[in-house]
Amino acid sequence: MAEAEESPGDPGTASPRPLMRDLKAVGKKFMHVLYPRKSNTLLRDWDLWGPLILCVTLALMLQRDSADSEKDGGPQFAEVFVIVWFGAVTITLNSKLLGGNISFFQSLCVLGYCILPLTVAMLICRLVLLAGPGPVNFMVRLFVVIVMFAWSIVASTAFLADSQPPNRRALAVYPVFLFYFVISWMILTFTPQ
Amino acid sequence: MLQQDSNDDTEDVSLFDAEEETTNRPRKSKIRHPVASFFHLFFRVSAVVVYLLCEFLSSSFIACMVTIILLLSCDFWAVKNVTGRLMVGLRWWNHIDEDGKSHWVFESRKESSQENKTMSEAESRIFWLGLIACPVLWVIFAFSALFSFRIKWLAVVIMGVVLQGANLYGYIRCKVGSRKNLTSMATSYLGKQFLRQNTGDDQTS
Repeated sequence: MAEAEESPGDPGTASPRPLMRDLKAVGKKFMHVLYPRKSNTLLRDWDLWGPLILCVTLALMLQRDSADSEKDGGPQFAEVFVIVWFGAVTITLNSKLLGGNISFFQSLCVLGYCILPLTVAMLICRLVLLAGPGPVNFMVRLFVVIVMFAWSIVASTAFLADSQPPNRRALAVYPVFLFYFVISWMILTFTPQ
Repeated sequence: MLQQDSNDDTEDVSLFDAEEETTNRPRKSKIRHPVASFFHLFFRVSAVVVYLLCEFLSSSFIACMVTIILLLSCDFWAVKNVTGRLMVGLRWWNHIDEDGKSHWVFESRKESSQENKTMSEAESRIFWLGLIACPVLWVIFAFSALFSFRIKWLAVVIMGVVLQGANLYGYIRCKVGSRKNLTSMATSYLGKQFLRQNTGDDQTS
């Protein structure tokens, strides 16, 4: 389920699918997100390992220092998980209902991988926050988050927009916009205390 | 499948009684891939153990959750790509052709009559036991988390159900093959069990 292509060889032979090949495939997709081009790699050989890694990383970074206290208002680990995966599933269902010809897991794969720029933004924001709060601090973080948000949107629409008929593109892209907007909002409003 | 196993049980017991410390063990009870068998069970069981003992192992909810997620992912990858292939000769994957259509492919290795039977019953038993028992456990955990309102664990439990259930479903479809479908196989299996119980009752009474 989590990968598309299969390695050659008969079942039962002592040459199972090599781990390095899967890791390289994940790394290649990360590169494709960072430099979005019109290519089919993300769509043809989908896998969900990248989205899982990104989701876990993002959820870990969105933790406050007092992680186990129930009183803090920031997103807990499980909430980030639920928001990302539930949001991705909803967008996929929406695009399928609009008549898109992309499969369920391919769409999840693209949406998950395109969280990469926002994860990088989260990393930068956490580093910037080490310098202490202040208006300059906020402007820097706002700029970074806006740039990465735009990058995510561009990357995901480069892959997803083709799968929709032309008159439905805006309807299919709007939920993606909302999805990344919510994640960007969580990143921007994050404070360590 | 269970009928076959019970026959093998009696065969193994009688052989053991007949010869002690024999070097000519029957091929069926030899484990050919001990490392694969170990890891097949290791990741699943440790995920369950960590979930049950999380309060005692670590005071941090996050550490437990990340550990369980890591173990579930490793288990999914290992069972789908390595242990299924080595232990029972089955594999399943998704293939996207040039038109963009996705196909799910379920394959099982054909037993060739010239070669010796390379599948061992012990490995097969270990494989299916691990494959079936753990998703059932995770479903039980899901209900218990839901009804005891430990909602924060629900995300990780649902992930366990989904990942392990996916492997279970994939391998059952490989086993069943494309000729029969699951419902007819389930009804015929239940019918056989029912019949066996009834004839067993007749014999004992």
